[in-house]
Amino acid sequence: MAGGYRQQPGASSGETRKDGKRVAGKQKFPPPGSGGSRPNMGPRDLDSIPESVGGKEPQPAGSHIHDRYRTGTEVGKPRALVDSYAKVTGQAWYGDDVRLQNEIIGKILRSPYHYAKIKSIDTSKVEALPGVLAVATGADAPNTFGVLPVTKDEHAMAVEKVRHVGDLVACVAAVDEATAMEALNLFEIEWEVLDPVFDPRKGLEDQDEPIHWRGKYHVGTTNVQKRVFQEFGDRSLVADPTASSHGKWRMEGVHHGFTEPHAVVAHWDPNGRLQLYTPQQVPHYAHRALSTVLEVPMHQINVIRTFVGGGFGGKSDPFPHEMCAAILSRKAGRPVRITFSREEVYWINRGRHPSYIEVKMTADDEARISGFDIDALIDGGGFASFGHVTSYYNGVLATAPYELGSFHYTGARVWTNKPASGAMRGHGAVNTRCAVEVGLDEMAEQMQVDPIDLRLANLLPPHSRTISGFRITSNGMRQALERVREGSDWDKKFRQLPLGKGIGIGCGFFISGSGLPIHWDPNRFPHATVHIQIDMDGGVTVHTGAADIGQGSTTAVAQVVSEVLALPIEMIHVRSHESDTSPVDLGSYSSRVTFMNANAAIRAALDIREKLLNAAWEMLGYHPDVLVLNDRRIYYKHDPAVGVSYLEALHKAQEDKGSLISSGAYRSPPMGGVHKGAAAGLAPAYSFSAYVAEVDVDVETGLVSCTNVWAAHDCGKALNPLAVEGQIIGSCHMGLGQVLSEKMVYGRTGHLQNPNLLEYKIPSVHEMPHVTPIIIESSDPEGPFGAKEAGEGPLLPILPAVVNAVYDAIGVRIRTLPLSMDVVWKAISSKTRSLGGIEATELPSPRLEHSLLQQTLVERGTQHRERDRRRQRSEDTSAYVNGVLFGFDPDQPLEDQVEGWKSAVEPVPEQLAELGLAGKAWLKKEQRQMGGDK
Amino acid sequence: MGEEYVKMTPPAAHTIWSAVVNGQMKQAIAPSNAILLDVLRDEVGMLGVKRGCDLGTCGCCAVLIDGEPRLSCLCLAGQVQGQNITTVEGLAEGAHLAPIQTCFATHGGSQCGFCTPGFLMSAEALLTVNKNPSRNEISCAIEGNLCRCTGYQQIIDSIEAAAAIKRGEAPALAPASNPHPNPHPMGPEEPSMPPGHAR
Ligand code: FES
Ligand code: FES
Repeated sequence: MAGGYRQQPGASSGETRKDGKRVAGKQKFPPPGSGGSRPNMGPRDLDSIPESVGGKEPQPAGSHIHDRYRTGTEVGKPRALVDSYAKVTGQAWYGDDVRLQNEIIGKILRSPYHYAKIKSIDTSKVEALPGVLAVATGADAPNTFGVLPVTKDEHAMAVEKVRHVGDLVACVAAVDEATAMEALNLFEIEWEVLDPVFDPRKGLEDQDEPIHWRGKYHVGTTNVQKRVFQEFGDRSLVADPTASSHGKWRMEGVHHGFTEPHAVVAHWDPNGRLQLYTPQQVPHYAHRALSTVLEVPMHQINVIRTFVGGGFGGKSDPFPHEMCAAILSRKAGRPVRITFSREEVYWINRGRHPSYIEVKMTADDEARISGFDIDALIDGGGFASFGHVTSYYNGVLATAPYELGSFHYTGARVWTNKPASGAMRGHGAVNTRCAVEVGLDEMAEQMQVDPIDLRLANLLPPHSRTISGFRITSNGMRQALERVREGSDWDKKFRQLPLGKGIGIGCGFFISGSGLPIHWDPNRFPHATVHIQIDMDGGVTVHTGAADIGQGSTTAVAQVVSEVLALPIEMIHVRSHESDTSPVDLGSYSSRVTFMNANAAIRAALDIREKLLNAAWEMLGYHPDVLVLNDRRIYYKHDPAVGVSYLEALHKAQEDKGSLISSGAYRSPPMGGVHKGAAAGLAPAYSFSAYVAEVDVDVETGLVSCTNVWAAHDCGKALNPLAVEGQIIGSCHMGLGQVLSEKMVYGRTGHLQNPNLLEYKIPSVHEMPHVTPIIIESSDPEGPFGAKEAGEGPLLPILPAVVNAVYDAIGVRIRTLPLSMDVVWKAISSKTRSLGGIEATELPSPRLEHSLLQQTLVERGTQHRERDRRRQRSEDTSAYVNGVLFGFDPDQPLEDQVEGWKSAVEPVPEQLAELGLAGKAWLKKEQRQMGGDK
Repeated sequence: MGEEYVKMTPPAAHTIWSAVVNGQMKQAIAPSNAILLDVLRDEVGMLGVKRGCDLGTCGCCAVLIDGEPRLSCLCLAGQVQGQNITTVEGLAEGAHLAPIQTCFATHGGSQCGFCTPGFLMSAEALLTVNKNPSRNEISCAIEGNLCRCTGYQQIIDSIEAAAAIKRGEAPALAPASNPHPNPHPMGPEEPSMPPGHAR
């Protein structure tokens, strides 16, 4: 150890006795530390302090309410994640790295059938195998659970029937893995095999034996889990379109493909409390579910979130194997560890829904989007998971960023005998977004206008309301489009590249936190709570339940606390792993953490800041308004030499209380409409993004490769630009996988054929294009220092950008994802055949001759640009609702202005006949309407 | 079911396995058909070696065998008997992190971090033979590693930065929490004065 380790700095050096020993009790103890290895206060970093408060950081989007608390310490600086040193040294502990004393190994018996009744399970042979210490079956845990309180349809292990191959049947724990595996062969089970359903379209029909039964709410005797209908706006505008697009899409299911397989360790400690270690994005829901299933109060369970090796939504459900480990451990009296093989990861799935999507769009003579119809049939697999929400998201998250004349959505999610689909990065919005953006591209082509100008002339402005009532605050869509247009040299490339080379545009819109906490009323309980505690040594401990899954939420929380208190980030310690110490938190989903937890952390830190400033006031005699916080020191604004150190102020503030403690909470403002389902898609802020992708298509083989991406994302304010860029590039990677190569292949027998990373094709480093991340900062009025999400939204635009670029390259529109070689080649050859059997290399490249409309659009875009700038900077604070573009008055209810302005959440009988594929779910009645639940 | 079952793992005789792991002689009693990954994680206790798939498809389990990168999940422990094995735990020199480690932290090469040990080993192997790799050469060196979080771009940035440090063209980076060259900073002192002001 170089230089040795001195415990007490500056102490006792000269003071030794004659015999060389140290003088006991005489060492000088300077106040315990606050400075790391930097003894002097750093200079104020004016470049990171906003203009509005006297700094030099430019604020094109206007000032922000948090500007006064900026100290220039951390916000806006590229930073290593605070836990990254644990990761690069191999010390980060993921699920399977938790090794407890005396542990035993658990294994799960999985169903070999797609759909079957379990008539009996005989475990006697299993129990007799030497080395087996515990066996459990569905009978041990009859209570149901599920991530959403409205759809609790899962069991720890199958009760009565299994619903897909790989569904959990039983589990065993044994002294070692080999014995546990062997034990799995000894279960004797009598099955009654039932007829499975794989095709979601079949799921809409009545069945003899629906996969689940929802009692009086069950739709007929079908497998429909959820159906949605929404209609808004003026349907008469759809008549006489100038351009229209009608696309039918087929999107395959995709999986998160996180690198860490699920793993869990359960241990009932000597006091009879359950300690459960699990890589969870949402530890709190697992906590609730465990309590229900195990019939143990929540306070007797401590859920410990390990490091999470990637989540992307795939680790946000409470999982049955977590229950299994707890049950086995309770029976065996020893810690039980269950680790999944990669194949098992695919059996538990929760990936993106395989979907059939139909989008009809129309534009009127001024190239305004008059009609917007979406029909989405999504395949939920065996369980509900987040499906209730997904069914809404597929429609409602398409209602922005464009201003629409009317909106019509029918969606249905059906159960099938496949591993359950669930939430995955870009939850529910990804597939329809792709369909919509490609539809816009097609309409632009028909109208002979530039697709970017078409978008620029149809955007909703900042501080506006969408057609279904979402409140949009900051909006950086326009800047995003302008920046990618410029960065990619769009005007020189679009429709001008040779055959096989193409460029395309796509946009995205996503929620930044869900407005409604799933388990409680936001008016009664906040979304997020953060506690801060500072002891005499000056170190700051922050308690939060935010689950860091690699996105850097711990870092974001540490950064904002560091910023407010002007302390180096090394002095902030975030404790977020244990439910025992962290305040209840909803966890990492729907991109809520930065927005909500950082906001709560700011509030908690402000409380501390106030106490410190008051103490300094007492000591210095200057009012807090004229005091400045900077790097571990508080001083008088006009004379930095007059001040106290952070520690001196802290100790003063601690005089009567001992350690300083504060708590901060975030709750979203009341918002949204009142119609059924109005809460789905509501968020305190929304992120916007625009991507341009460049592709190469080999016309002879159909191989598509993406070479360049310009990715602009509006994240409000980048707290940590390095992390935001990482999220943008990572999202591109994941989206590219879905659009070019990834799919879960269910064969003719409904069997998942590629449950491994060899055949499930995640792009490797060679398939990755060069991504130019562009951060747009629109400064959200309610975000922490203006920040919004950057984790999910950036995934959306890459899909349509690539699909549109492929069209630009070969002039063929493909509506089947992924664009694998076979799909593209088939599309090319049917095109060459339709052109009279020409060679693929002779395909005509699409070209663009601007029509007169182009001029209209450019003019409107320029006007709107000014409108948006004024609204963004609050120079114009008038109301703006969707519909103003069509000439309506934003201050009058639209229903009063237009006869037939719709706002419906159920179809009227006359509409039933014309509904699309998913709309067919409305042809059936619910059991209660048929007088019974059978 | 109910018919005679086949044992999944054929019993194998246990043997004494030994190798030099991160510079230290390690021994383990393991079945003769044991996989290196299992022995390293379960017997030797090197939990930094990650298991992502067990099939040679993710690269999380990469280790260096006599300096060569190998996937430990595809390697029988017996094959490397007596050889030199380096895992992520052996990259740092004493308390000093290797440049590749600090660069992964400071350049965003690690998000969730599960793939990181594997990437570090592949990168380290590259940098020992090639001091000045191009981006393409780096890509080729890490093509067997899968990362779902970063999209690789910042990983390549990190490796480039580490190469520059190794060549002496850039100053070594100190991790914020653990400043070099003294890995245990002296206890902190009071910052009282702004620079340039006497009290
Ligand atoms: S665990 Fe060895 S390559 Fe995946
Ligand atoms: S950092 Fe998560 S897989 Fe690479």
